[in-house]
Amino acid sequence: MTEQVHKPSSRFRIGIVLVLVLTVPLALIVRAFDLHVTNKTFLQEQGDARALRSIPVAAHRGMIVDRHGEPLAVSTPVDSIWAQPQQYKATTRQLYNLAKLLDLKPQQIKKLIASKKQEGKEFVYLKRRINPSLAQKVIELEIPGLSIQREYRRYYPTGEVAAHVVGFTNVDDVGQEGIELAYDQWLKGTDGSQLVMKDRLGRVVKPVDLIKSPHAGKDLVLSIDRRLQYLTYRELKRAVFEHKAKSGSAVILDVKTGEILAMVNQPAFNPNNRADLQSYRYRNRVVTDTFEPGSTVKPFTVAAALESGKFKLSTVIDTSPGYMRVGKSVIRDIKNYGRMTLASVIEKSSNVGASKIALTIDPNNLVKVHQRIGFGDVTQSGLPGEVMGSLHQPRIWRDIERATLSYGYGLSVTTLQLARSYLVLASDGMLKPLSIELQTGHVEGESVISAKHTKQIREMLKGVVAQGGTGTKAAVPGFHVAGKTGTVKKVGKHGYSDDKYVSTFVGMVPADNPRLVMAITIHEPRGEHYYGGAVAAPVFSSVMVGALRLLDISPDKLPKKPATFAMLGGAQ
Amino acid sequence: MSETLTSYMHAAFNQKIQKQKIIWTSDYWLLGTVLALLILGLIMVGSASVSIAEKNIGEPFYYLWRQMMFAGIGLFAAFILVKVPMRVWQDLGPALVIVSLLGLLLVFIPGLGKNVNGSTRWIAVGSFGLQVSEFVKLFMILYLAGYLVRHIDAVRTTAAGFWRPLGLLMIVMVLLLLEPDFGAAAVLISTAVAMMWLGGVRVGQFMILITSVSGALALLVYTSTYRMQRLTGFMDPWDDPFNSGFQLTQALIAFGRGEWFGVGLGASVQKLFYLPEAHTDFLFAVLAEELGLFGVIAVIGLFSFLVFRILLIGRRAENRERPFAGYVAYGIGIWIGLQAFINIGVNMGVLPTKGLTLPFMSYGGSSILVMCIAVALLVRIDYETRKEDRIIQKGRKVYE
Repeated sequence: MTEQVHKPSSRFRIGIVLVLVLTVPLALIVRAFDLHVTNKTFLQEQGDARALRSIPVAAHRGMIVDRHGEPLAVSTPVDSIWAQPQQYKATTRQLYNLAKLLDLKPQQIKKLIASKKQEGKEFVYLKRRINPSLAQKVIELEIPGLSIQREYRRYYPTGEVAAHVVGFTNVDDVGQEGIELAYDQWLKGTDGSQLVMKDRLGRVVKPVDLIKSPHAGKDLVLSIDRRLQYLTYRELKRAVFEHKAKSGSAVILDVKTGEILAMVNQPAFNPNNRADLQSYRYRNRVVTDTFEPGSTVKPFTVAAALESGKFKLSTVIDTSPGYMRVGKSVIRDIKNYGRMTLASVIEKSSNVGASKIALTIDPNNLVKVHQRIGFGDVTQSGLPGEVMGSLHQPRIWRDIERATLSYGYGLSVTTLQLARSYLVLASDGMLKPLSIELQTGHVEGESVISAKHTKQIREMLKGVVAQGGTGTKAAVPGFHVAGKTGTVKKVGKHGYSDDKYVSTFVGMVPADNPRLVMAITIHEPRGEHYYGGAVAAPVFSSVMVGALRLLDISPDKLPKKPATFAMLGGAQ
Repeated sequence: MSETLTSYMHAAFNQKIQKQKIIWTSDYWLLGTVLALLILGLIMVGSASVSIAEKNIGEPFYYLWRQMMFAGIGLFAAFILVKVPMRVWQDLGPALVIVSLLGLLLVFIPGLGKNVNGSTRWIAVGSFGLQVSEFVKLFMILYLAGYLVRHIDAVRTTAAGFWRPLGLLMIVMVLLLLEPDFGAAAVLISTAVAMMWLGGVRVGQFMILITSVSGALALLVYTSTYRMQRLTGFMDPWDDPFNSGFQLTQALIAFGRGEWFGVGLGASVQKLFYLPEAHTDFLFAVLAEELGLFGVIAVIGLFSFLVFRILLIGRRAENRERPFAGYVAYGIGIWIGLQAFINIGVNMGVLPTKGLTLPFMSYGGSSILVMCIAVALLVRIDYETRKEDRIIQKGRKVYE
């Protein structure tokens, strides 16, 4: 075994190998330093370009609250489930569970993703705006290519009650109707963006940086009083139901400020569930629908009469025999009222009386009064879809046109305009801009009718609600009410129909120092009654009973008996 | 051949002395370095493969568990093979060449060979794939060491003695290139050349060999579009970062992110599907990202020290007149060093993409197993040298 002595490799040869073994690592370390330290900025930029992506961060939409801070529209967080068709890969079981959670059919999901994949799309919503806890369950299925996106969903705590005023947003949180539409810029925030790190499959690994923080939208305080709103809603709905009416509108105004305290329509809709949304339901009829105001404009005919100087409070108008012929037409009262004062024309709502006034004065002056009280003009409420109505002013007036204008035909107004015109009467002749936003302090108006005349007319309007008037059902215990009924024939296909009416009542309370004005319009009541005094006036009464108590307005018509007792006690 | 093996078996199990003191008189520097690399490798494989495993298998630690199992098998094999005397390996040399050739041919039998990413490098064994080239590299080192011992004079003096083993190597290389496994072929021929150099080949002959090998390698590159593409992708990866340069740019980005001390263990972004083969060939890039320059220097340092230690073992064996053991140690040392530094170089973009694993660290059963066997051989060589030392010392004592 030891016969051959091995001569080992020379030191030179092993030295060369050792030098190589030690220089190569040194070269590698130099290169590593080059990459790790010298070129790190470039390499990191390259890496970021591949892995960093900016994604939007949804901003919180401002809240809509009533005048007392009660929420009318709030945003709650929801999650939307979306898929990347290219990355999506689910087992049969996962697909089944996913479909079950999202309440979809497995085949539906499969088809949707397959078609988007074919189109080369990288994004498709599977289901939007679901409960975050449900979304969490979806994520726990761990299906590749499925992600959630935080969004905000609008929730309306008052539901139907304030639906028309508040309106609603669409699935992208953009205002579509009502305040949500009109104040969209104010309410909506600006979406922020966030830098996230994504893996190569496009899944978010971690947030890196907030590039732009989302700015929440601003809250909006409405002039609406949720309690009055609810009261009005309840009573209007009851009236529309009771009288089998087609639709109805009601609005309450604050006399001092011109604020809209309540605004209600029937039929209504639930803004939280708009699956069965029909356009006729979401119209805010208070501002979008016009009608001929009928007898409710008679006070302004009287105002024009007083202004003309041809009429005084004591002027007597003979309305016998209860009807009059004007051209080919016949104007009728319900019965022969005989000799009437201006006050009794209002009280009994005499068409013949009003017509006789109108035929005495310049019809252009009557139109001017209508213009001054805001007919044919915007109310400045800022509500979307508001129409101006129309005033008719022919160059040459026919007698029948002059006559019918006096009792409210030949012009059209909205319920809101009608309410505003009575606000002029309530505020000693001031025409005020209306507002849906909360106002602080007294709002000045423009004087359009003299305070003296408005006071006189208010006295007459008290008679409407008093014993013997047409609007007794509008009476509110403990208060003097001033108001006017109206019953208008609607225009059908063949002129004025005999069975389609608009029943209205506009009133104010307390009559001597009015705080609230309310207008009620009920279209096409099909029950036993159709007179404004029978259909609309009771709504005024039942709403105001509650409203005056809620607003803590002291009664101005105290019962006489306790006072007598007190006097007796004092005498003792 | 088999007679030698069985006779050894009897000897091994009958002589109790051989069972003792194998570990206790070992090179602790060597074992410590290997252990450090193995453990760091397991940690990095675990970290790098979490996302890939979760996506492909649905179980985040799938690759880690498998790698741990491979390491266990490797260590078990090492504990057994450490008992095989170097003499037996020397005798087995020619047989191992035949096994290598057979193995390389088996790969091409349909149904038996496994094709991954366009390369047929594996033989299916149950659910595992046996990467033949890993074993071939070790076997060829053993054969070449034996050849050098048998024909040392011819090698050192004649051209024929020098060229003959290279002829055999060429056949193996052709088979490797057919798979294709250019990396293994390059490592093998380079190791063989280095071993010849240490064996004492004449400088003139050696120069001819170097130039012809370089020429052959260059020719191979230019004749294959696949290799050419890899080479151009390596020259300027940023020229086409989303196609040919994709993998490399992603690896370089990993280095850039790592900076001095890395982004932290487990925090790599590049392993999130940006870097293909993050747990195999490009494990080092993930390590560079997570542990930074600090970790990179540590690993390069560990490998350098390991190679130095192995060459020392070889030198000592040679000095004790155990040339076969010496050449085997040189071969293994150069092989591990080459493979490690090529892999690291590829990760850093200084060498074209090769498909070579990082020894002891990259995911891969065959690689780990073969590396463990190589370490067993080194321990055995070291043990036998020390035994020789002791005999000489004792002899001296007796002599004195």
